[in-house]
Amino acid sequence: MSTPAATTPAATTPSVQTPPVLQGAGTTNAPSTAPSRSAQREAGNSLGTFGVKSGLAQMLKGGVIMDVINAEQARIAEEAGACAVMALERVPADIRAEGGVARMSDPSMIKQIVDAVTIPVMAKVRIGHFVEAQILQSIGVDYIDESEVLTPADEEHHINKHNFKVPFVCGARNLGEALRRISEGAAFIRTKGEAGTGNVVEAVRHERAINSEIRRASVMNEEELYAFAKEIQAPFHLLKETARLKRLPVVNFAAGGIATPADAALMMQLGCDGVFVGSGIFHSGDPAKRARAIVQAVTHYNNPKILAEVSEDLGAAMVGLTIDSNLKGGKLAKRGW
Amino acid sequence: MTEKYEGNAVAIGILALQGAFAEHQTALQKLSLTRKIEVILVRTVEDLDRCDALIIPGGESTTIALLARLSGVLQPLRDFVLKKPVWGTCAGAILLSQTVEGAKKGGQELLGGMSISIARNGWGSQVESFEADLDVAGLRDAERPFTGIFIRAPVVLTLAPSPDDPPIEVVARLSSDLLPEGFTSEDSANDPKTFVALRQGRHLLTTFHPELTQDNRFHDYFVRVCVFPATQ
Repeated sequence: MSTPAATTPAATTPSVQTPPVLQGAGTTNAPSTAPSRSAQREAGNSLGTFGVKSGLAQMLKGGVIMDVINAEQARIAEEAGACAVMALERVPADIRAEGGVARMSDPSMIKQIVDAVTIPVMAKVRIGHFVEAQILQSIGVDYIDESEVLTPADEEHHINKHNFKVPFVCGARNLGEALRRISEGAAFIRTKGEAGTGNVVEAVRHERAINSEIRRASVMNEEELYAFAKEIQAPFHLLKETARLKRLPVVNFAAGGIATPADAALMMQLGCDGVFVGSGIFHSGDPAKRARAIVQAVTHYNNPKILAEVSEDLGAAMVGLTIDSNLKGGKLAKRGW
Repeated sequence: MTEKYEGNAVAIGILALQGAFAEHQTALQKLSLTRKIEVILVRTVEDLDRCDALIIPGGESTTIALLARLSGVLQPLRDFVLKKPVWGTCAGAILLSQTVEGAKKGGQELLGGMSISIARNGWGSQVESFEADLDVAGLRDAERPFTGIFIRAPVVLTLAPSPDDPPIEVVARLSSDLLPEGFTSEDSANDPKTFVALRQGRHLLTTFHPELTQDNRFHDYFVRVCVFPATQ
């Protein structure tokens, strides 16, 4: 796939010794359009360009990002072949079970995880909570997930993610939502699925919705694309780019309900670039073995023989929940606008 | 179509266990060359056996090494680098090194192939990732700078070729004022930490990501300088 704006000619040699500035406040006049590498170069700073933000997501492709709640779990994930870990205090299944307001994790716990592993460390902030994002950027996390799994802090606005040097991943249920997040500066998209359920049905629904809308857009002429952009509430230029590429202009992972190697391979065959596994690993009988099996399943997703081998004797999978109106903790995927 | 090319097709593999292998595939397919190349995504020993040369992409080096072992290609890869041209980008550069600093607890598996030591995540976390223009004399249109995209990039620490090894050529270097804090030295012109692209014999190493740009001149360089001469 190609990187947006990757053909922009190089400008002057930049300096990396730029003093840190407070970023992310809602009132700053950051570009409202999508990825513009040249605009950021003009600011005299080659750190945190859209190229390096989306580039890290490209390096994670074909990999598994695992939820971990402490340094010990992070080490197990790294040894099992995780390409990154997501540091959080409670996995989604526990947030569902316990209820209450779910917030950004304690920075000291995140720092312990950063120190324990060499792979990238991600952490979650509440939707719209740009100060939690400023805090996570300052302690040096590698990626921020503006996540519907936590309790939203703003019911109208998402974070202006262009204002940060640290890259963001966001959830989406359909193409319009994905392109709105990219427009706000997300460099990486995941399906929302339904976190903490161990039930892959919503992730499948969301990935199929995105693919189906991209296929429709890819055969439209320009007039039709204008109308379609209005219909799905997506910025026209991003929709046009998506139609040309016949895929999202950033990396697209599956998330929300993946519990088995077969689930992971299913999402890969549906066209995802990699998977997030949340509660599915450390809520299972043998986390290390299951984690390793899911890592292998994502690499060999088109090889049923290897999938059969890695699916053997994994112990108990997480129990899982059916998704209906009685779902404990409610449908998290509805959060986000 | 075949009379357009000289000689037999050359099979260039891309290790496709994890990471940005599709980007390398796209870049290779856009090259215009005198000989026909076939691009193979390598996940098994059978795939590797068909290759005349190999690219190890960016990704997570610990993940790639583990998957290589679980897929039974780790030892075949170690044998491959002794015989055939290999190019490693970022994580691939780490895997091609002889020794690594900043490895995960308990150490990590490498392939070797180039007589250097390297430090993982030399610049720190993702917020220190950057782009910088590089002047690369060996490339086509060398007067045009190449945009180096450095993402949690490794840093070359020392070159240590033994007398029997082929010499190491510095293909591209970074301006020393872009080095991470604490890495600056008196003799910056000869400081290995400024070396971001190296060639030793038929092997090439880049600590940055040419595959993330639309500029395929490094792919052209690898095929022309490392692969074609080794596959007459």
